[in-house]
Formats: sequence, structure tokens, C-alpha cells
Amino acid sequence: MKTLATPLGLAGPGSRSTTERSDAQFFDRRVAGVALSVALAYYLGAKIGFALTFQPHPVSVLWPPNSILLAALLLTPVRVWWVILLAAFPAHLAVQLQSNVPPMMILCWFISNACEALIGAGCVRYLIDRPVRFDRLRNVGIFCFFAAFLAPLLSSFLDSAFVAINRFGQDSYWQVWRIRFTSNILASLTLVPFIVTWSGDGIAWLGKIRRARILEAGLLLIGLLSINTIVFYKLAPTADSALLYLPLPFLIWAAVRFGSRGASAAICALTLLAIWSAGHGYGPFSTRSAEENALSIQMFLIVMSVPLLLLAGVIEERSKGETTLREREERISLAAESANLAFWSINFERKESWMSDKGRAIFNFGPDEHLSRELFLSRVHPEDRNAVGEAIERARASSQTFEFEYRLLRPDGATRWLISRGRYVSNDRGGIRELIGVAIDITAQVEADLQLRLQREEMARMSRVSSMGELTASLAHELNQPLTAIASNAAAGRRLLAQGTPDLEMFEELLADVSADARRAGDIIHGIHHFVRKSEGRRCPVNLNEIVQEVLRLLHSDLLGRATPVETQLAPNLPSVDANPVHLQQVLLNLVMNSLEAMQSTPIGKRRIVISTTCEDSSSVLVTVRDYGSGLPKEDLDKVFNHFYSTKPNGMGMGLTIVRSIVEAHGGKLNAENSDEGARFFFRLPVKPKSETPEVI
Amino acid sequence: MSPAAELVCVVDDDESVRRGLRRLLKSAGYTAETFSSAEEYLAREIFQGALCLLLDVRMPGLKGPALQEALEERGTCEQIVFITGHGDVPTATRAMKKGAVDFLTKPFDGEELIQAVKRALKRSEERLRNRGERLKARSRVEKLTPREFEVLRFVVMGLLNKQIAAELHTAEKTVKVHRGRVMQKLGVTSVADLVRISQWAGVSPARKRA
Repeated sequence: MKTLATPLGLAGPGSRSTTERSDAQFFDRRVAGVALSVALAYYLGAKIGFALTFQPHPVSVLWPPNSILLAALLLTPVRVWWVILLAAFPAHLAVQLQSNVPPMMILCWFISNACEALIGAGCVRYLIDRPVRFDRLRNVGIFCFFAAFLAPLLSSFLDSAFVAINRFGQDSYWQVWRIRFTSNILASLTLVPFIVTWSGDGIAWLGKIRRARILEAGLLLIGLLSINTIVFYKLAPTADSALLYLPLPFLIWAAVRFGSRGASAAICALTLLAIWSAGHGYGPFSTRSAEENALSIQMFLIVMSVPLLLLAGVIEERSKGETTLREREERISLAAESANLAFWSINFERKESWMSDKGRAIFNFGPDEHLSRELFLSRVHPEDRNAVGEAIERARASSQTFEFEYRLLRPDGATRWLISRGRYVSNDRGGIRELIGVAIDITAQVEADLQLRLQREEMARMSRVSSMGELTASLAHELNQPLTAIASNAAAGRRLLAQGTPDLEMFEELLADVSADARRAGDIIHGIHHFVRKSEGRRCPVNLNEIVQEVLRLLHSDLLGRATPVETQLAPNLPSVDANPVHLQQVLLNLVMNSLEAMQSTPIGKRRIVISTTCEDSSSVLVTVRDYGSGLPKEDLDKVFNHFYSTKPNGMGMGLTIVRSIVEAHGGKLNAENSDEGARFFFRLPVKPKSETPEVI
Repeated sequence: MSPAAELVCVVDDDESVRRGLRRLLKSAGYTAETFSSAEEYLAREIFQGALCLLLDVRMPGLKGPALQEALEERGTCEQIVFITGHGDVPTATRAMKKGAVDFLTKPFDGEELIQAVKRALKRSEERLRNRGERLKARSRVEKLTPREFEVLRFVVMGLLNKQIAAELHTAEKTVKVHRGRVMQKLGVTSVADLVRISQWAGVSPARKRA
């Protein structure tokens, strides 16, 4: 089946461009060639038509000229139709003059012949895009109805009318009509498909046929000719009429294996042989009067050819569809490969499922594993499983397209990021027939994104550190002044004492200076608290649960980047505190960041932060941040809040000082303790008294 | 070493630092003056003796290194010891390259400071003495007549009297007289001393005519 489509002339881009090119050049030498061949074919066709007349009554069983004209019109652009018709006229004239037909009748017949060809070709060309092919059921159907049935039907009325007007011959109007109608139908069905299919694509395809095909075609031809000869020539006229169907297997063979070309050729061969035999008094169609014989052979051939042409059309359409489908599938799978796409579908009615190879690789499914929601969910990261399950359920309930982003946890422990888009396809009864979807592996993008965000945060942190460095530099400068003075005074005092002439008054002055400088150093340290208090800003009722959620949103990528899950235990109906929300955010942010840093050496599976809020005796709220890190050094429990104390290699030792300052500025208290695993930081803030809310904003 | 001949100046914007340092310097036996800014120091009349300048790097207005450059242009003999709240290496290196005696980071040890001051005064005094020699030599050279000065330059160049006479188109005897007078005016007895004093005075040797 594979090679069938190509030699039978699919409407590929190549053949179309050939047609366009010929359109442009049609008025040059090619149009002359076409016109000449049409005239020649018309003349020969008429001769054949005369030859196939049943003697003694001159009844034409098959009248080819009309079909030749029709085929020529189907194959040429509409613009040159007039050339075709003009070329056919001399041939028509030459043939008819030989038969001693009156000139007026010759003209009338040409008009009716041209009408038939124009009606048929016009309808077909209007309904079928060029080039006309018999490779689709629709095309064959259109051809059979309009060109092979409607056109002869209409033009036959005209024909009979002309005969009647010219008083030509002895037949009645309806006799002429019937004879002409059937002979034209037969001619259209047998000759037009043959001419169109065999001349439509030139002869280039002949060279590409494999030897096996040629052999098969030869066998078919020999078989067909032999059986036709036996049935229509050798058999006695009285033989069983069922034997008439002996050629049928060969005809079907031709249609199935060789498409419309094979079928039309076989029909042609059958038709010519059968008519010729009957005309010469052989075979089953030679028993009755010429008219009856003609009618029955016409009926036989029409009934044989219509289904064969349709069958050939169906066969070609299917093989073409298969090729297109295969090509499309290849294109899609190429796209899927290169874009890390996983295509899949689950058919609930047929209980079938399919997933592209790439998809099975992404999801780590076996090649024959049946897809199901459970199987899919088993691959989804446990943290995303519920959300994904709900999204699928929602999509199913509303029968809509869904899309969600989630993580896969592969058996080797690797996490992949995916976006899934899918749709439930309903059946006619409104139920769900199929679930189709595509999953895109976006791990690379997500990781790049995360990397970028981490870098950005690192930059922000660096700038924060450098501004902290700036602060400490000026702080150090400030502190060094009194320290220098103290050191100088001390050295001076020692010298004076060593000289043994202590000037008491001077000494007293010296010591007063020393204690003043010491006080000043202390004031500088306290200045940090003032700094915090100064930037306090406006206070308002704050729900600490909201602050926790906000901070977790801010730290989302940090937490992902460090693979640290956060568990929240937030008390419902938490009373609000009177505070500056930005400062409380800073507090929590600092504590969570500290926890993250404390767990840097903790194995990934064990990392965890628990944030809880509790309402204590309706007068204060307790917020706890607990980590599972290395914990605080025992002897340093209180020192962690000291200025410039840090357990981190790059720490400034300022974070917790500021945090504590903020908490204390809010009337609260910050503490730290070690729990069985890791450290726990917690602070209490007083609840805003209810009576004290006069400021309504 | 008379106390009047040397002075230590402190330039720092912080009053307690100034007070502490003045007290320390006094206890070590130095005369100390304090200034709260570089501008204030520049306004002081130029001290003629050996001078050590304790200079803060970071101050409002003119910064320490900028004052160092200004003083270099003025060509005075003070030697600078920088004292700074935060010692950054590039600033220290630049200061030392430009001739600072030391670069101390606050808070420093009192004795360390005294040692630095001692070194600075010694260097200042050396510079001062050199400058005195130069001034003396120059004033003597200025007493020479133009002709005697010409002869001096040829002598410094190492020419014999005969050659000098040829250069100046005069008799060898005349040159001999001029030369004797130069020796007398400059107060030297040997050619070696003559060359040395010419160097102090910055006399350049004459160029031989091609």
C-alpha cells in the first residue's frame, strides 16, 4: 500500500506548481499542442464511436467525442476552454460530413456536445479544486453525478430537440433521448476518468515505479484481458449470465492495488472489449435486437464502473490520509522531541491509552503501561499531588481545557518541572469520550529562572552587605575616636606616673576625659537602637498570620532553591497587634533567612522550617520560627543578640540586634533556645487593646 | 636639641582625640599644638624648626592626603605621621610613597605614636640642616662676579687653567687670579670642597664649546 499514493498522483506541492506554470504559458506553443491533440482525439473518438455501432441499426453504444471534450476541459484552465472548443469543431465537422449529415444538424450536434462538456466540466471544476483527481470519494461522487449523469441528462434533451427540429432520422424524441443519454453516460464513466488520471500528471511518475509493481500490473493486465476475452468473446451467447461477473475480481484488484488509474484503465479495457465483441456478434450481449443489446451492455458497464470508481477513490483517499497522518505524526514527534513535549491520550470508551515515546521517557512509564490518573499522580511530586488532582477534577467537572504547572518526582530522586495542558473530549451523548493532552518539560527554563532569581537576590544581598559595610565603617570610625582618646590619655597617664611628678589636677582632668570618652563610645552603640526607632513609621493593626504568609511569598524562591519545605501552624482568629507591618516583615524575614542559613549543612531531606503563631491568654501573640539546623552553641545562647556577634563566617552580627530592637520597640521580647533538633526563635507581641481603636481610617 | 627648635602639630576634627594626643605629647616632653582642620593649620605661620605633623586622614573640608600635597608644594620641612580611623591599604600606600613617616590606625598604642613622632622630628631636623647648608652655599656663590662664576663652572667641570683660558679667550694668568678669588670668596681651600659647595648651591657645570 505504501507505494500506491505516490505514483497515483497525490496533490503534492510539486504537481500544483507545475499546473500554475502551465497556466501562465498556456497561450504559447503548449496551447497549440493541446488544441491539436484535442482535435485529433475528437476525430479518432468519433471514428471509434462509429466503429462500435451495432449493425445493422446504427445505434452508438459508446460515443467518445463528448467525453474527450469533457476530459480536455477538465484538464485545462477555464481561460483556454474556447480554444479547445474551437479546435474540436473542425474535427467534428470532418467526421460528420463523412456521414452525410446535413450541415445544420452538424452544427446543432456540436452545440449539444459542447453543452454537455461545458455543463459537466463547469460543475466539476466549480466544486473541485484543480487539479481534478479521482482520489477522493467526494470527487468521484461529484464527477459521477454532475459530469456522468446530470450533463448527459440535460444535453440529451437539447440533442433530441435538435434532431426533432431538423427532422433527422426516423426515431421519436424519447428514443433519441434515451439512446444518447445512456451512451453518453457510459462514455463519461469509462473514458473521462481514464484520460484524466493518465494524462493529469505527465509521465514522470512512470520512471519511479518499482519493478514488482510493473510485474503486478502486467499480470493484472494479462489476467483481465484473458478473462474478458473468455467472457465476452469465447463464451457462447447462451452461457450463464452469472459468468459476466468473472472479470470483477480483476477489476477490484486494479482498483485496490492501482487506485483510480488502475480502475479506470481496467474499466476502459472491459468496456471496449465487451462492446466490440457484442458488436461483432460474440458473447452474451449479442442475442437480442441491436437496441436491446446496446441498452443491456450499457447498463452492465455503467453498473460495473460506478462502484469501481468509488472504490478506487476511497482506497486512494485512505492511503493518502494514512500518508498525511504519518507525515504529520512524524512532524509532531520531531517537534515533541525537540521541545521536550509529551503527547498523550486516554480513551475512556475504548479503554485505550497512548503516549509518545518522549512522554514515556519523561514520566518514566513503561512502553506498554496503561495510562491512568492514578499512575500519573503517582509520578507527581507529593507536594503538588493534591493540587494537580484537584485541577484534573475541576477540568473533568466542567469539561474544559486545563493547564497546570507541577513537579515530577522521578524514581531516581530527580525533580522535573512540567506544564500540562489537556482537554476532555465529549462524545455525542454528552459524556466524556477521551482525555487528550500534552505535557512540556520546562525544567531547564525553571532552573534558569530560579538561578536568575537567586543571582538577583545574591546581588541584593551583596548590596545590602556593602551598605552594612558602609554603616560599620562609619560606626568603626565613630567608635575609634573616643577609643583613640582613651588610649592616648592612658599612655600619657602612665608616662606622667613614670616621671614621678604626678600633677593631680591634670590627672583628674585626664580621668574625666577618659570616662567621658567611654560614655561617648557607649552612646554610639545605643545609636543603633535610636536608628531603628527613628525609622519606625506608622503603626496599624496587623494580623501576624498575614505577615507570615507574605514573608513566605517573598521567600518562595529562596525556599525552593534551598529545597526547604515550610510548615505553618497558624492560629485561627489571631488578634491583631499594633505594629509597623514592614518592620515585622523584616523581623520574620531575618529569622527565616537565619534558619535557612543554619540548615546549610543539614541533609536536604531533613531540612524543614516550622512557623507557628499562637494566641496567649488574649493579651499577647507568640510567633515561633523553628529550624532543624545545627542549633545554637550552648554557651552563646544569649550572645546571639549581641552586637557584632556572629556564628556565620561572613556574618556581620547585626541582624539579630536589629530584629531584637524592632521587637522591643513594639513592646515585645525576642528569645532563642535550642530544641531537640535545631534552634527555635520566638517573640511575643502585645495584643492591641480593643477599647483603644478610635482611629478609623 | 632645644625644645624651641621642634614642634608637634596635631590636625584632627575630634576634640577628645586632640586633647588626648596633646596630653600624651606633653607627657613625652614635646611642645604640641592642635588644629581642628587642615585649613586652620595652613593659616598658621610657617614654623622654622623641626616639625612633626600628626594628621587625620578623614576630616571635614580638606582631607589629610590633600594637605600633604599642599605642604609639598610649599616646600616646608615638616614630616607627616598619618592617623586614621580605618586603615585602608591604598590610602596608606599612597601616603607612604609621598614621604609620610608612618601610618597609624586608631586606636593606636601611645608608645607607638611617640616612636613615630621621634622619627619624624629627626627626619625633619635633617632636612632642615640640609636646607641650611644649601642656603649658606648659595649666599656665598652669589657674592662672585659673573666672570668668577664662569671660571667656577669650568673648574667644577674639571678643566685645567690652560683649558679654561682657551675657552674664555684670555690669558692663563688671569684665570689663575680669578680662581684664587673664587676659592677665597667661597671659603674653601681644596677643589674637592669647591665642588661640594657648588653642588649645595646648585651650580651647574659649564658646557664645553663644541
